[in-house]
Amino acid sequence: MVEYNKVNDELVKKLVAICGEKYVTTSEPLRHSYMARGIMGMEAELPEVIVRPENAEQVSKILIAANDNLSPVTPAAGGLSGGFALPAIQPGGIYMDMTRMDKMTVDTENRVMVVEPGVKSGDAWRIFKTKYPDWAPPIPDGAPPAATVLGDAIERGFSLVTGVYGPQADMIMGLEVVLPTGEIFHTGSWALPGAKPFYRWGVGPNPDGLFLGSQGSMGIITKCAIKMIPHPHYKTVVAYGGDTWDDIVRPAWEISKHEMGIAENTVMVQGGNYELVMTRWPEKNVPTDYDFYKKIGIDRKWMNYEVWAWSQEELDFALNGIDKIYKDYEVREKRTLPQQTLHPKQIASRLKKPNKIAVPYSLWQAGFLFITWYCPWLESSAMMEEYCAAMSDHGFPETMWVASIDHARQAIVMPILCFDSTEPGIMDRIREFNLETTRSFLKKGWINYRPDPFVHAPETFSQAKEYYKMLVKFRKVLDPNLILHPGRLAIPWDSVSDLPDPSKE
Amino acid sequence: MTSLEELRKINARCIHCRACQYAYSGEPDREGETEEYTGMLQGCPAGIYFGWEGYFNSGKQWMARAFLNGELPASQEFLEIAEACTTCGMCETQCPNYIDTVHVTEALRAAIIESGVEPLDKHKIFRDRVNDKTLRNPYNEAREERTKWLSEYQELIDKPDTKIAYYVGCTAAYRQQQIADHTASILRKLGIDFTIVSDEVCCGSPILRTGQREVFRNVMNENLETFKDYDLLLFSCAGCYKTFRNDYPEHSGQPLPFKVRHAVEFVYDLLDEGKIKIEKPYNKKVTWHDPCHSVRHVGIAIEKEILAKSDNWLLDSRAAEKAKEAHYELPRIVLNSIPGLDLKEMYRIKGDSFCCGAGGGVKAQFSDMALSTSKERLKEAASTGADILMTSCPFCVTNFNDGIKSLKKEEEATGVDLSDQGSKLVVVELLELLDELL
Repeated sequence: MVEYNKVNDELVKKLVAICGEKYVTTSEPLRHSYMARGIMGMEAELPEVIVRPENAEQVSKILIAANDNLSPVTPAAGGLSGGFALPAIQPGGIYMDMTRMDKMTVDTENRVMVVEPGVKSGDAWRIFKTKYPDWAPPIPDGAPPAATVLGDAIERGFSLVTGVYGPQADMIMGLEVVLPTGEIFHTGSWALPGAKPFYRWGVGPNPDGLFLGSQGSMGIITKCAIKMIPHPHYKTVVAYGGDTWDDIVRPAWEISKHEMGIAENTVMVQGGNYELVMTRWPEKNVPTDYDFYKKIGIDRKWMNYEVWAWSQEELDFALNGIDKIYKDYEVREKRTLPQQTLHPKQIASRLKKPNKIAVPYSLWQAGFLFITWYCPWLESSAMMEEYCAAMSDHGFPETMWVASIDHARQAIVMPILCFDSTEPGIMDRIREFNLETTRSFLKKGWINYRPDPFVHAPETFSQAKEYYKMLVKFRKVLDPNLILHPGRLAIPWDSVSDLPDPSKE
Repeated sequence: MTSLEELRKINARCIHCRACQYAYSGEPDREGETEEYTGMLQGCPAGIYFGWEGYFNSGKQWMARAFLNGELPASQEFLEIAEACTTCGMCETQCPNYIDTVHVTEALRAAIIESGVEPLDKHKIFRDRVNDKTLRNPYNEAREERTKWLSEYQELIDKPDTKIAYYVGCTAAYRQQQIADHTASILRKLGIDFTIVSDEVCCGSPILRTGQREVFRNVMNENLETFKDYDLLLFSCAGCYKTFRNDYPEHSGQPLPFKVRHAVEFVYDLLDEGKIKIEKPYNKKVTWHDPCHSVRHVGIAIEKEILAKSDNWLLDSRAAEKAKEAHYELPRIVLNSIPGLDLKEMYRIKGDSFCCGAGGGVKAQFSDMALSTSKERLKEAASTGADILMTSCPFCVTNFNDGIKSLKKEEEATGVDLSDQGSKLVVVELLELLDELL
């Protein structure tokens, strides 16, 4: 068991000396103001001090001070779809609010932009809109404006073009990392002083993968170079319905296989069920019977295809290609998969980035959680079937979202668990649901996208023992005192789980 | 819904997405005239000024939740953070979960105070003065002098047998009497049979906003009793109007026994009905600042009143939003009915309007924040190229004038021309202009 020390006056003084009094607080109300339980995770401990560094040098000094005191550190700026990365275990330690580090540089010649952790999607979009209208900033799709570009990228979140290019992390060209012991280094070609971040694999083996998806537990990323993609302005969304998950998953696979063809225009492929519409409204103020949704033109299940092109001709070519695949599929498989008639406002709403599309699920009752899993694309129907059945069994509405990653090589399957966060015992109910589905899915070889520390990570690493052992070895090299975001990735193990520690087997 | 406990489920909808920190959080492609004013923009005065999460609505919602769950005790420090907010409601416009953010903030302040924490110094002074039956106003002025501004038309005071009353409010009665004069003059010119009631007392707005609800209830009940036999109450103060329209029914648990209308809305009604026409020209470039109380708060209330009656929000939310948007148009329709007036809109307007910085008890207690916020808005106003900054709220007028004074001082001290920051703007109350033109 690792014993952490509480933040003491001496450490606070050191933090003040590093960042200035204005940027350090132990105020109890302000510490509570950073809390979040919902959307991306339910687990959160109150931090003991909040510090807002201005640059990597200050981050480094904070980490050295934290090591001296053996106090945990949680870095966060905004990232993902909402909520914060919060301390998972006690004591909450130092919470590093990175929002002051908000510089962004854009290199259109080399098609790379560099962002600090505090650059928010809304700001990046505004700057691109006015200064670089022919380029799309690498912001997350479906995340609200305060979600950060870097947070999304390093947690391998969605980009605007994930259907083609894969998760945002696949677009990373280099990182500036402050290691838990305070050393600052760069990855990729950036490792060479004066070199641009033009070559991801740089001067030697690339360690990026240790940091991406580590939930801030391997090092603090203070700069990230990300590929920019062009922003062609002929864009639209088409949608096709169906009655079963296979009705939407299989045609999407056929379309996405057209690499170097129409699939390259089809930048986002995502779908869901009618409950995805229904649970955006209060349970007591919206019809819950499918008949109503049928009447207003919403299929039981549907898949959206967002298509970008350089000309109307190219756009039409891609749309016709999609439609032809659907028509052929209907004949071959004897299914009826109608194209939905989308109102121009619906299309405009879907094309809007960043947007608040993922936010209103709290209206159903009072709180919601995204649980995200990856599987091979064609297995996603089975996962969604099982998930929906489990949601129904556990008394949750069957709200489900699915999207393609990299030409439907993988699927992200995301049930949206809508619940009343004021209901006594609700956290236990969610945990039971999560445990049951996690155990079943792991057996099928499916993996969780961003494992939570108390269910997904221990259950997964209890299976992937050799991987966990290596992970712990790497972690101990980088972070000998295990001060960075402890609990995440189930390190240290006994802080989050009563299961046998795989690293000791 | 008045107590924080009653708002627990609404507060629990917050997932900390922080969309509420942005104006136009749902309009990333909104076109602006300049690079600075385009797309989504930070829109929370307190968050921009203090920087810490707890000063944004997003942080406040989670402090409120911690307080409700017994994880965060009431304290002076907590109250100071909760009170450093203009309650402008920009955050409420943004929330896709329809969280009543201003209600939560006001209820949180009240709950902290009701837990035994002393109100902040300046707010306590307001409360004590309003609570004093010989004053019943926050300015420490004698109650019997409330109608002193009306030197010429004494017959308007407590005029019998009229069903329309002009509720003057403390600021127009004691500090900005010209607004009361202009409003009364407009009503006379329009041939309205109205009265001014000498028994009116403070509407309670500054007391309610700052969480001192006991005294608020006293003055609310007095006003409701005083005005119960009237058909229509007219207002020149955005804050008093909002308090009567939105807060009295909620806190009294009863619908208002009379109709209420802000004087600008009343003029709009007459224009809309074709009963009046403005003939005199006003050949100036004007930008309009939406007062949070009479524009955004009332608009949001209109939307939520429609939804409260709906059993299908999916279908009715669009109509509710349209009704809200229609309310935001009213002052614009009035302005556009003035010949020669060249309306140059600011970037952040209507539901996404940036606050003047004076509301929610901030002007008195956090004067630096109020001034800084005023300057940010003045800069936006100056960016339109307008010469006149027009609004219809005594607090907005005062705070903008304070901002301009400060800019002028800076110009004198540094010799730098700050006209692009708004130093040359002239603040005009729309009611003053309407009085001139009608």
